[in-house]
Amino acid sequence: MSTQASRGDIAAFDVARIRAGFPILSRQVHGKPLVYFDNANTSQKPIEVIDAVDRFYRETNANVARAVHSLGEAATSAYEGARDKIARFINAPTRDEVIFTSGTTQAMNTVAYSYALPRLQPGDEILVTTMEHHANIVPWQLVAARTGAKVIAAPITQSGELIVEEFIARLNPRVKLAGVTHVSNVLGTINPIRELAKACRARGIPLLVDGSQAAPHLAIDVQALGCDFYALTGHKLYGPTGTGVLWARKELLAEMPPFFGGGEMIRTVSFDGTTFADAPHKFEAGTPNIAGFVGLGAAIDYVNRIGLDTIGAIEGELAAYMSDALKSVPGLRLFGEAKDKAAVFSFLIDGVHAHDLATLLDHEGVAVRSGHHCAHPLMQFYGVPATARASLAFYNTREEIDAFIAAIAKVRKLLA
Amino acid sequence: MSASELYQRIVLEHSRAPHHFGALAAPTHRAEGANPLCGDTLHVELRVVDGCVAEIAFRGEACAIAKATASMLGEAAARLDADGIAQLEARFARVIGGDLERDDTLGDLNALAALANYPSRRKCALLPFATLRAALAGTAKTTTEGEHR
Repeated sequence: MSTQASRGDIAAFDVARIRAGFPILSRQVHGKPLVYFDNANTSQKPIEVIDAVDRFYRETNANVARAVHSLGEAATSAYEGARDKIARFINAPTRDEVIFTSGTTQAMNTVAYSYALPRLQPGDEILVTTMEHHANIVPWQLVAARTGAKVIAAPITQSGELIVEEFIARLNPRVKLAGVTHVSNVLGTINPIRELAKACRARGIPLLVDGSQAAPHLAIDVQALGCDFYALTGHKLYGPTGTGVLWARKELLAEMPPFFGGGEMIRTVSFDGTTFADAPHKFEAGTPNIAGFVGLGAAIDYVNRIGLDTIGAIEGELAAYMSDALKSVPGLRLFGEAKDKAAVFSFLIDGVHAHDLATLLDHEGVAVRSGHHCAHPLMQFYGVPATARASLAFYNTREEIDAFIAAIAKVRKLLA
Repeated sequence: MSASELYQRIVLEHSRAPHHFGALAAPTHRAEGANPLCGDTLHVELRVVDGCVAEIAFRGEACAIAKATASMLGEAAARLDADGIAQLEARFARVIGGDLERDDTLGDLNALAALANYPSRRKCALLPFATLRAALAGTAKTTTEGEHR
């Protein structure tokens, strides 16, 4: 999928300069330097993204695809330019397969209501896995409840890996859609999407991939992956909140009725009936988050400039360091030890509740998430109500990991 | 604002060795309360005599703030009826909401006043109250959803 970054790329990587490009990373929290380890929740934004949004509102703001005046042309060109950038970023065969949404959740719901709902019959099944985020469970349950279909899940191992043969064994003729996360938001597990897509394709079952956690860390090539739908969110990819993407093969989009109706998605409207625009506009009713997508375009430019190979290599080194550091903490239980995993670390410490840990780490300047991570079934699988989660990005450093481990020691002393 | 303000000694003592935790031999009321924010669940059993709490026992997995509050509430709720507990909860909510510095009738529960600075953690302290309230009202299950934000 991606070529390895050369040693030169990593050696040339100047983390201090990178960090200087993220204004928020220089702030303090409770008088301590911010250590931002909540990147799987949302990433921080480089100045290029902040400036692009700011500049759009100062210089270009107008509605898109409506106005013929200069600002309207410039706004439309910037917004549609972002679509070209994303199409190249995920290697979509055509830009018309790239639908802008408010995030992964809206992308999933678009597939649920426009693709699944009209097709599902009583007894049909939608196959997901135990490690899915609620966004890849609840939309299917909602359409299943309306059609008499049901949602089934393929199991995972204790180390947090999907049991591929169990997934494939569940691909029976009743399954009308499969949904799998590319990278688990809790465990960091990277799922073997190509293998799963091949099995789905052989049985004529479309595969949807939740790429929320993958897009910031791995090079995405939807054609090489062989999936049918791919969803991602902009705010984890260093872009603004309220931006997301649904990619789908154009044959599927052509068959799908619109999910939302309104302006911008029509060809002609009369009270006798309405004809719809082609994809992607068919799925983009109303005024979109124009400035947000201009910002997302800037985020894609930024990531391309750093290079996903370099990002992957830097995060891989940080992950190895983090993994060793966590093993030195007495009473620490790590959730998710897949062979192929991203820099996401969910854990619990004996005698310390995840919420108390997160509150007390915050006092040391360290931001981590605590809770169920919108993955109740996975928490039930491990038999815990909540975990703490530290998730890294390429702008994090070994010194920050040291500060985090020192902060954990302080918390243990207080609570455990 | 320092961490020791919220996690002060009395809170840590109550959370490490909570009072009124376990099971009752002959409960008359029981309920389960969940904090959907964090996935914590607390159970409470009561023996109610003449409308007043005679015995109370909590159990469940919860954070230090929820456990300490439950432990202190076990003391404070003794011999109160549903109205008395509602008044206690209202006073407690004002203290952790920052509207009142302390209230002498709350006893040890005043130690949680620092929650005024931690809006996201107030639900943790309100979970034992909501669970107790549900048990007295004969509601088997409750959540802290819709309580203080």
